[in-house]
Amino acid sequence: MAVEELTALEKCLGLKAGKYSRRAQGSSQVPVLQTNSGPSLAGLATIASHLVTQAKKEELLGVSLEEKAVVQQWLEYRTTRIDRLTSKEDVRTTLKDLNCYLEDKVYMAGNKITLADILTYYGLHPIIADLSIQEKENYMNVSRWFSHIQHSPGVRQHLPSVVFIKNRIYSNVH
Amino acid sequence: MKLYVSEGNPHGLKVLAAAGLWAHGVEIQRLQQDEKVVPFLSQAKLPALELNTGNYLFCANAICRYFTLAAGKEQGDLTNQWMEWEATELQPVISAVLYATIVQGKKTEESLAMVGKQLEHISQNLTKKPFLTGDAVSVADIVVWGAIFPLLAEMSTLLEDLSSLKNWFKKVSDLQPCQKAVESLFKGKGPSVFKAYLQKMPAPS
Repeated sequence: MAVEELTALEKCLGLKAGKYSRRAQGSSQVPVLQTNSGPSLAGLATIASHLVTQAKKEELLGVSLEEKAVVQQWLEYRTTRIDRLTSKEDVRTTLKDLNCYLEDKVYMAGNKITLADILTYYGLHPIIADLSIQEKENYMNVSRWFSHIQHSPGVRQHLPSVVFIKNRIYSNVH
Repeated sequence: MKLYVSEGNPHGLKVLAAAGLWAHGVEIQRLQQDEKVVPFLSQAKLPALELNTGNYLFCANAICRYFTLAAGKEQGDLTNQWMEWEATELQPVISAVLYATIVQGKKTEESLAMVGKQLEHISQNLTKKPFLTGDAVSVADIVVWGAIFPLLAEMSTLLEDLSSLKNWFKKVSDLQPCQKAVESLFKGKGPSVFKAYLQKMPAPS
């Protein structure tokens, strides 16, 4: 999954396709990028941050100090939390927390799209695509954010578009 | 800004050390481990940093990063790689080992075998340079040190075969902010200080 995602990110950033391999780690696979200039790099968040710098789009890593730290925080959340959701209960807690976090935000860090939005969007895609209409309405802020990111230029790539209904159907649900 | 830590929480070690090394004007508050600070998270999560803007950082590594960024230190690929490795590969093993030895009372030697591969990885990377990312101590050193300290503080015999790791571990442990962080979290007790925290964690699979 991770390598496909990094390839999508390369396209999104207008970069040429890099050379990847995978290293087994427990039950998951760690992506490894062979760089032209130096040693290989391992890890989804590490490689993604490297690609952003290669494309000279550093603003995607955050502009202020605070944004930079917030971006890295959500990248870690992606690899340590979203990638390890094993139970329905875990999924619910994660969506609930994200829904609460996104209540007063358009993007995850600051007022522009960052790498945190892109990788969280990729990571949540299979989960959101699986939600019922009612669940999407329950996690209204996540849905609004997700819909917004999937329409951002170049981000969605090969991923199927997820349908959201703008009018509330289950109006008694909070 | 306010840094919230709780007694006996092993993740507090790296943030206290990083605050001591790089941050200015941090107010430190001690809480009970189940106190909820971050408004958008449904479960209690400490340490946490409340920024002056009202935002929160709830990942220990991101808090350490914030302190170094504020001190004007840029972070490159190598730092990112160590931080990600610590969070995704080292931390799960460390939690399992601490749980096995402190909560389940398994023999130290047995549990330590579980983390041998990771310790070797650190040691190998220290044969050609004094610190993980180069010649000076960086946020990557503090994050990795903070993760393995609870294991190695009392079990340093393990390091006999890994001399570069042993030298590095001593160098980082001897830094004054690291010593202070250890004192304030361990209070002169051994790793048993983490027992209450670990008992509330789910058993690692």
